[in-house]
Amino acid sequence: MTTRNQAGQLNHQPRPVSWLRILVIGRNPKVTLLRVAVLIVTCFIVFRFILLPARIEGISMLPTYQDRSVNFVNRLAYRWHEPRRGDVVGIRLAGPHVMYLKRIIGLPGETVAFENGRVLINSEVLDEPYEKAPCDWNCPPVKLGPDEYFVVGDNRTMPSENHVFGKAGRDRIVGKALL
Amino acid sequence: MKIIIRIVLLAVLAALGVWLWMVLFPSPEKVIRRRLTELARTVSSSANESDLARLAAARSVGGFFAAAVELNVNLPELGQRTMDREEITQAALMGRSRAGGLQVKFPDINITVAPDKQSAVADLTVEANISGEHDSIVREMKFTLRKTDGQWLITRVETVRTLT
Repeated sequence: MTTRNQAGQLNHQPRPVSWLRILVIGRNPKVTLLRVAVLIVTCFIVFRFILLPARIEGISMLPTYQDRSVNFVNRLAYRWHEPRRGDVVGIRLAGPHVMYLKRIIGLPGETVAFENGRVLINSEVLDEPYEKAPCDWNCPPVKLGPDEYFVVGDNRTMPSENHVFGKAGRDRIVGKALL
Repeated sequence: MKIIIRIVLLAVLAALGVWLWMVLFPSPEKVIRRRLTELARTVSSSANESDLARLAAARSVGGFFAAAVELNVNLPELGQRTMDREEITQAALMGRSRAGGLQVKFPDINITVAPDKQSAVADLTVEANISGEHDSIVREMKFTLRKTDGQWLITRVETVRTLT
């Protein structure tokens, strides 16, 4: 923009920046670009190596997790402590792109059994407040090794033959469900 | 300045050489990965496939396997047995006609090549979506491959029990 001052000289004033441009790329495009780059790198690191996004498929974790809902698996959850009973964990198959989402009910060294729908840990009944529906499962006792956890879904209204559950090695546990 | 330009040029040339070498002489792992991805694509089928296309695809599936294949899978019709290539083609054909539409993917493939580079084991996740079915079928499987006449052929297929 050009204006003329009192002495009649031409003044070159910078053009006023439109509000739309400020809204989209900010007052300083270089800073905005840097922020965008930092955000992209942060998202890449977080969602690729720390919080794995997971879309839940199937009904085995009902009513805790609905079919087709979205969750994240926190890979850092067990960096400073071992998995605990009641944790919902992601269990990898050949890799972390497809995982089972299951709840840990048995810890290493324990004996797990199902008797008329109740879970017995070392012959004692396990209190499971997350279990809302009646269950009639019966499974013989399973002794867990030093690095093994017993995992099962929350939906035990379905027949046990249709439900994937059992012993999982520690190396298969990818992380803890975040939500 | 000239030296810097020369160094940069040399580095670019070296990188190009390495890339070209990798394209022309891919590692066995890369070849196997590509072959397994191709197998998944060949096994996949659309619902409105013609009989001729179905037969051709089933024959192609047979080409990924060795003359005799050891099977140890937890499917009632297959179980633990040895199949020849023709039987695999027949099984593929039957599966295709029965499934209607089928989409198969191997989202995770871990390959271990033997030191002699003549055999390899691929531990992979199989994800199959059958048309009209709500849930996808997910299994962990282990394929043993052997290099025969320059081609990596599957000699053994077994189901891995993720939860025992």
